[in-house]
Amino acid sequence: MDTDLIAASVRASSPEIIVIIGACAALMLSLWPHQDQQKYLTWLSLITILLASAQTLQLSPRPVNIVETTYSGMFVVDAFATYFKMLLYLGTALTILMSGKFLQTEEAVKGEYYVLLLFALAGTMIMVSGADLLIIYIGLELQALSIYVLTGFLKTRGRSVEAALKYVILGAFSSGILLYGLSLIYGLTGSTQLGVLNSALATADLSEPMLILATVFLLVGLLFKIGAVPFHMWVPDIYEGAPTPITAYLSVASKTAAFAVLLRVFMGSLIGLEPLWSSGLAAIAVATMALGSLVALVQDNIKRLLAYSSISHVGFLLLGIIAGTTSGMSAILLYLLIYTFMTLGLFAIVILLHRDVRAGEPLTLFSGLAQSHAGLAFMAMIFLFSLAGIPPTGGFFAKFYVLVALIDAGHVTLAVIAVLLSAVAAWFYLRLIMLIYIQPAEPTTGSTAAPATGPTGHARAAILLSAPMRLVLLFSFSGTVLSGIFPAWFLAMARQASLSGLGN
Amino acid sequence: MMEFFTTTTLGIALLVTGQALLVIVPLFVALAFLMYGDRKVWAAVQMRRGPNQVGVFGVLQSFADLLKYIVKEVVVPAGADKFVFYLAPMMTFVLALIAWAVIPWNPTWVVADINVAVLYIFAVSSLEVYGVIMGGWASNSKYAFLGSLRSAAQMISYEVSIGLIIIGVIISTGSLNFGDIVAAQDGNYGLFSWYWLPHFPMVILFFVSALAETNRPPFDLPEAESELVAGYQVEYSSTPFLLFMMGELLSVVLMCALISLLFFGGWLSPIPGIPDSILWLIGKMLFFFFMFAMVKAITPRYRYDQLMRLGWKVFLPMSLGWVVLVAFFAQYGAFGGAYARWAIGG
Amino acid sequence: MEDLLREYLPIVIFLGLAIAIGLVFIFAALIIAVRNPDPEKVSAYECGFNAFDDSRMKFDVRFYLVSILFIIFDLEIAFLFPWAVAFKDVGLLGFWSMIVFLGVLTVGFAYEWKKGALEWE
Repeated sequence: MDTDLIAASVRASSPEIIVIIGACAALMLSLWPHQDQQKYLTWLSLITILLASAQTLQLSPRPVNIVETTYSGMFVVDAFATYFKMLLYLGTALTILMSGKFLQTEEAVKGEYYVLLLFALAGTMIMVSGADLLIIYIGLELQALSIYVLTGFLKTRGRSVEAALKYVILGAFSSGILLYGLSLIYGLTGSTQLGVLNSALATADLSEPMLILATVFLLVGLLFKIGAVPFHMWVPDIYEGAPTPITAYLSVASKTAAFAVLLRVFMGSLIGLEPLWSSGLAAIAVATMALGSLVALVQDNIKRLLAYSSISHVGFLLLGIIAGTTSGMSAILLYLLIYTFMTLGLFAIVILLHRDVRAGEPLTLFSGLAQSHAGLAFMAMIFLFSLAGIPPTGGFFAKFYVLVALIDAGHVTLAVIAVLLSAVAAWFYLRLIMLIYIQPAEPTTGSTAAPATGPTGHARAAILLSAPMRLVLLFSFSGTVLSGIFPAWFLAMARQASLSGLGN
Repeated sequence: MMEFFTTTTLGIALLVTGQALLVIVPLFVALAFLMYGDRKVWAAVQMRRGPNQVGVFGVLQSFADLLKYIVKEVVVPAGADKFVFYLAPMMTFVLALIAWAVIPWNPTWVVADINVAVLYIFAVSSLEVYGVIMGGWASNSKYAFLGSLRSAAQMISYEVSIGLIIIGVIISTGSLNFGDIVAAQDGNYGLFSWYWLPHFPMVILFFVSALAETNRPPFDLPEAESELVAGYQVEYSSTPFLLFMMGELLSVVLMCALISLLFFGGWLSPIPGIPDSILWLIGKMLFFFFMFAMVKAITPRYRYDQLMRLGWKVFLPMSLGWVVLVAFFAQYGAFGGAYARWAIGG
Repeated sequence: MEDLLREYLPIVIFLGLAIAIGLVFIFAALIIAVRNPDPEKVSAYECGFNAFDDSRMKFDVRFYLVSILFIIFDLEIAFLFPWAVAFKDVGLLGFWSMIVFLGVLTVGFAYEWKKGALEWE
C-alpha cells in the first residue's frame, strides 16, 4: 500500500522529475567543453521540455474535474496545473530558442545558462502544482535563485550584475514577507495545506488582526513577485539590466507561475477572506495599470518600456481576480497564454535588433525597420497591436474577456477605468509602430563603433534570421494571430482548465 | 547517605563532579606521560635519547615543563585583541576537554550517558576550529594569521570525511550512543566481530583524517616551522601556549578513543573467553597513540595543495561512496547482516 | 530532577570544571610569572623587519570557497545523521529518498570538481 502511494506520487510529479534530471544531465554535459556544445545543450533542454510536456499531457486529468492529490496532499495534478505547465513549457522553450544568438553576441555561451533555465522551469512547475504553501514556497525559491544568477549572467556587464544584485535583495525581501505571512497563516490554522486552509478559514473571524496581517503579508509577497504597484520598483531596473532573453523569461514564465499561485491561493483557499483583500486588490490593480501605462509613455529604452508595459498588463490581469468568478479566472488563463505569445515575439525582435549591450536598447533601434526588414516590421506591428489590445489580434480578446467577466461580476466602474487606461497604454505601443513605419532610420548617434552602413544610408546590417529564431517568431506570431482569429477555441481551453476547481 | 547522592539536586551535582574529576585527573596524569612517550618514540626513531634528565629516564619531564610554563612571562603582542587572545587557548582547551564527558570506559562507566553522544563529539570538535581562528586573528601577526587560515581550512576539510565515515558506523548500529555502538560489535568471533573488518577501508581513512583534523604530522602545515614558524601559536607563550598544546594533545587522545570505540570494539576483549575490561580500551588507545607518534616520526610533511587535494578529491568521494555502499549493504542485508547489526540483534 | 536535565548535567559540570582548570592555568602564569614588557618584546613576530600596523589583511578567496563547500557538505552530514539513526525505521522510501539526495549531491560535487573549485595552485 505504501509503495503504491509512493509510486503514485512519483508518477504525478514525473514531469518535474524529468526536468530536474534533464537539468542535471545538461549540467554534466556543460562540464566537457566542445565546439558544438551550445547546440547539444539547446537540443537537450528542448527534448527535456518536450518529454516533460508529453508526460504532463499524459497525466492530464480526464475528465477535467478530477483532482489527483499526492505526497500526502502537498502536490496536486489537475487541469489548472496542467494548463499552466504547458504555458511554462512554451515560455521556457521559446526563451531557450531565442537565447542562442544572444549568448553568442555577448560571448557568454555557458552551459549553466540552460541548466539554470531548466531549474527555473522546475521551480515554476512546482509552484503551479503545489497544494501546500511550503511546497509553493520551495518552488518559488528554486525559480528565484536560478533567475537571480541568470539576471547577472553577463558577468562583465555592469548593468547585468547590478540588476542581479538588486533582484537578489528585493527578491529575498519579498520572500521574507511571503514566508512571514505563511507562518502567520500556519499559526492561525495549524496547517499550510491549501485544502485544509480553505475549510479552516471559511468560518474565520475576519476582524482578527493577525488574520488581516497574514493575508496582507501573503498578498504583498505575491504581488511583489508579479511586480504590481506599489511593489513594482524593481521591475524596470531588472528588466533593463538582465540579458534580453531572461527579461523575456521574467516577464512571461515567472509572472505566469506567480499568477498561478495567486489564483490558487487567493481564489481557492483564501476565498473565504475575500472581504479582506478584494477592495485593496482593486485599488492595486487600478494603480498598477495607471502607473504602468503613464510611465511607459516617457521611456526611451525598449526594455524599460516593455517593463512598464508588463506592469500595466499585470494590473489588467489582477482585474480578473477581482471579478472572482470562473469566467474571470478563465479570462486570466487566456490572457496569460496570449501574453506569452506576443511578449516573447516582441522580445525576439528586440534580440534580433540587439547589437551591443553597451549601446543599450534605445527605442530608435526600431526606427526605419519597415524599410530594411518589412517582414520583421510587420510582425513587430502585429505584436504591438496585440499588446495594445487592438482587434483583431489576440491581445484584444485577452482584454475583452477580462472586461466581460468584470462587468458580469458587477464591477462596471473598474471596467470603464480599465478601458480608459488601456487607451493610454495603446499610445506608447503606437509610438513604436510609428517609429517602425514612419521614421527613417537614424544614423547611429554617439556610438563611435557604428555598424556597417548599408547602401541606402541605413545604419543597420542585414539581420540574419537563424533557424531557432525563425521558429520563435513563427510560434509567437501564429499564436498571436490565431488567438485573434479563433478566440473561442483558446477560451474553451482556458475555461476547461479553470473549471477544475483549483485542486481543493 | 547514598540517598543524598541519588535524589537531591546538590547530591547529584556533587556526585557528578566527583565522576568528572575521576575522568579528568587520570586523563591529565596520562597526558603528561603521553607527551613524554610521544617525545621518546620520536627520539628513538631518530636514534636520539629524548628527554632523560628529570626523574628516572626523564619520566617527570612533562611535570618540569608544566612548572616552566607557569613561571614564564605571558607576552601579549602590541595590537592584539587582548580578550580574544586569551579566549582562543581557553576555547581550544575547554572544547577538547568537554568532549571527554561522553566517552564511556565500560558499559556503565560514563559521565554523561546521552543518546546523541556521537553527534555531541562531532559538534564539539567542529567548534574547535574557532580556537584556531581566534588565536590567529587576535595575535596581529601575519604568520599567525596565515597559519590560522590554513589550519582552519584543513580542519574543516577533513571534518567532512570524518563525519561521513561516522555515518557509516551509525547506519550499521542504528544509534548515536557509544555504549550501543560497542555493544553492536560484541559477537562470537572476538576481534573479527568488530567494525574494523566490515568498515575496513574507512578505518584507515579515519586514522588519516584524524591526523589532519588534529594538525598532527604529516599534516602539521599550519605550524610548519620552515614557512610559518609555529602557525597560529607563534605569538603565544607561557600557559596560554600550554593550553593550546594540551588542547591539541587531548584531541589526539580523543581521536584514539574514537577509533577504539567506533572500529575496535572499545572495552571488548579481542579473544572470546577473556573478560571485557576497561584495560582493553586503554590498551587500544595506547596502541593508536603509539601509531600517531610513529607517523609523526617517520613521515615527511605534505604540501598544502596535496593536503587539500587528498581531503576533497580522495577522502570525500571515497567516504561518500562508502556511505552509499554501507546503506545498500544494510538495506539488503548483505554479508549476513554484517552491516546491519540492529537487524541480527548483534 | 528531570531525566533529560539529569543526562546533560554532567556536560555542564564538565564544562564548568574545564573552564575552571583553564582559568587556573592562565591566572597562575599571570600571577606567578614576571611581567616586564618592552616595545621590542611585544611587537609582532616578523623576519628581520619591523611589523606593519595591522596584519588582519585580505586573504585568498579560496579559503572562503573551502568554507562554503564545507558548509554544504557539513549540512548534508547533519541531514544524514537522523537518517542513519532511524535507518531501520525509515523503510524503503526513506532509503531511496536519501540515495536520490546523495545522487543529486554527487552531481553538484562533480560540477564543482570539474569547475576547479577544489584546485589549489
